[in-house]
Amino acid sequence: MKLLEFEAKDIFRKFGIPVGKGFVITSPDEIDKHPDGLGDEVVLKAQVDVGGRGKAGGVIITDSKYARENAALLFSRKIKGISVEKVLVEEKLAIENEYYVSITLDRAKKMPVILFSATGGVDIEETAKNSPDALQRVWITPLMHDIPSFMMRRLLKGVPKELGPVINSLYRVYCESDALLAEINPLVTTNKGVYAADAKLIVDDNALFRQGIEVNRDLTDRERRAEKFGFSYVELEGSIGVIGNGAGLTMSTLDLISLYGGRAANFLDVGGGAGEDRVCNAVRLVSEMPGVKIIIVNLLGGITRCDEVAKGIVKAGISQKVAVRLAGTNESEGREILKKHGYMMLDTMDEVVLYAVSEASL
Amino acid sequence: MIYGDKKTKVIVQGATGNQGAFHINLMNRYAEEVGGYGVVAGVTPGKGGREIHGVPVYDSVREALLEHDAATSVLFVPGGAAGDSIMEAAYNGIELVVAITEHIPVHDAMRAVSYAQLEGCSVIGPNCPGTLSPGELKLGIMPVNLSVPGNVGVISRSGTLTYEVVNELTRAGIGQSTIVGIGGDPIIGQTFVDVLERFEKDSQTKAVVLIGEVGGNLEEEGASYTDLPIVTYIAGVSAPPEKRMGHAGAIVAGGEGDAASKIRRLEALGITVAQKPSEIPRLIRKTL
Repeated sequence: MKLLEFEAKDIFRKFGIPVGKGFVITSPDEIDKHPDGLGDEVVLKAQVDVGGRGKAGGVIITDSKYARENAALLFSRKIKGISVEKVLVEEKLAIENEYYVSITLDRAKKMPVILFSATGGVDIEETAKNSPDALQRVWITPLMHDIPSFMMRRLLKGVPKELGPVINSLYRVYCESDALLAEINPLVTTNKGVYAADAKLIVDDNALFRQGIEVNRDLTDRERRAEKFGFSYVELEGSIGVIGNGAGLTMSTLDLISLYGGRAANFLDVGGGAGEDRVCNAVRLVSEMPGVKIIIVNLLGGITRCDEVAKGIVKAGISQKVAVRLAGTNESEGREILKKHGYMMLDTMDEVVLYAVSEASL
Repeated sequence: MIYGDKKTKVIVQGATGNQGAFHINLMNRYAEEVGGYGVVAGVTPGKGGREIHGVPVYDSVREALLEHDAATSVLFVPGGAAGDSIMEAAYNGIELVVAITEHIPVHDAMRAVSYAQLEGCSVIGPNCPGTLSPGELKLGIMPVNLSVPGNVGVISRSGTLTYEVVNELTRAGIGQSTIVGIGGDPIIGQTFVDVLERFEKDSQTKAVVLIGEVGGNLEEEGASYTDLPIVTYIAGVSAPPEKRMGHAGAIVAGGEGDAASKIRRLEALGITVAQKPSEIPRLIRKTL
């Protein structure tokens, strides 16, 4: 789950990473409740989870006297389509230089990689493309508690070594917060020292339970309900609902739909050993999505009982058509149940997808 | 047979949970069918002294290994504790851990896989269906009725999609040497390269089906590694790009983890890429 800037900065503070003085407001009026000034100029930052927030109008630098009016302006804006519900009001830092640092996962090397660039504040993908030499990277074994000095010297060649402790603290944040990504862009030097001017943290969904996060905000309501049922679920925009077991098989079903010229409405992986109720919940959930004309149920596995699955489909009793492909225990019983209630059961993935695509195009 | 044979003795960590108990039974039924040892001991902290389907349960890996001579473990321990259990196995001399568990926090997996490597222990998974050498050994949860012994190795990042492909191969009369599900998590122990290295040394395996997914560049790395004939299939061509990981991850992956560019790179390496699972038997037969 992606944390918002102010949430990430709260965590940074706990780990000794300096961040600008500031506070969060949920309406322009709240600015007046914070009499202690942040200086002559302040920065108003929309707390929305989008990339390129500054360019999209999500950041306003203003004279403190006009902070309230500008905050009202910011609250009225939509930043890349997202409403502004919270604004971070911060002191304006007297920035001397901007740098980039992030820590993320290198899947191939199976360890964290630390990326540093002496040009911060810009799109890091641009830096990587246009001046790859400006990007330093070191890999650190996850069994190490701190970044060794030689790695730090390599990262910080030719730049102030005062950045070192902040980068090491960011590595501690990355480990302790179960982060998939910890990023400071820009990391800045000022006449008062080093600051994290922005903050980005993505926390591993599998570790939310021990990070004190109860609700995964990144999900839509339906996705959250799906999560409660134990489904992996992603909403798309087509007319063919998809229910499968296993991420790979479900993804592959989506691919076949697109290969045959159809468009999938969703991705739903019911998980292993799905019984009557799970299947029923899955079918109903997908049928509620607007625009779904037909649902493919493609389940395969040694322990999936086809009669249970068939009962679940019948129990769901939805108005849309359901095209079923089942392979597993009690296949013929499942086929009987489906046939009796007028549902289609097909033998292969190709057949079930072709059928659904042609039905959806009617 | 690249991870053991009939003579392989297995312990199961997380033996007393629903999944553990259920699959101890299935693994041992298969062992009986092929004349192997199967699961000789289970481990669940605090549940020592019980029996699960006739298999004795111990409090720790150490205690299980005092009574039984095994070097292979299959792990069903829940996500939050699984990293610790992998390290426990490695510390006590287990040489292969097959980690079935889903939802292991990434940082735990990273630490556990690193530590296991230091101890000389290979890890398959986490979040994988395990491995099956038809007629010899089943480690994990793969259904056995879809497969037949033969010469084609199968490596996959996903579970059921593997069964789909194995089913297609079997229906076409093509048997399998060993089927390995390496797992779908961002951090996994055995990668395509590790498994291919074993297939190269395995006289039974004449060709390999490699089933990949979007994200990372492990498929290309694997496919360019081996001289064995390979047919690949990559799932996720239609996956929406906005569901990918943040920017920095994409840079590490070379900016191109998506299926379309992955397929382009594989084809540039001269690797056959199937458009759909049902094409695989025809393509693999050409290589044999």
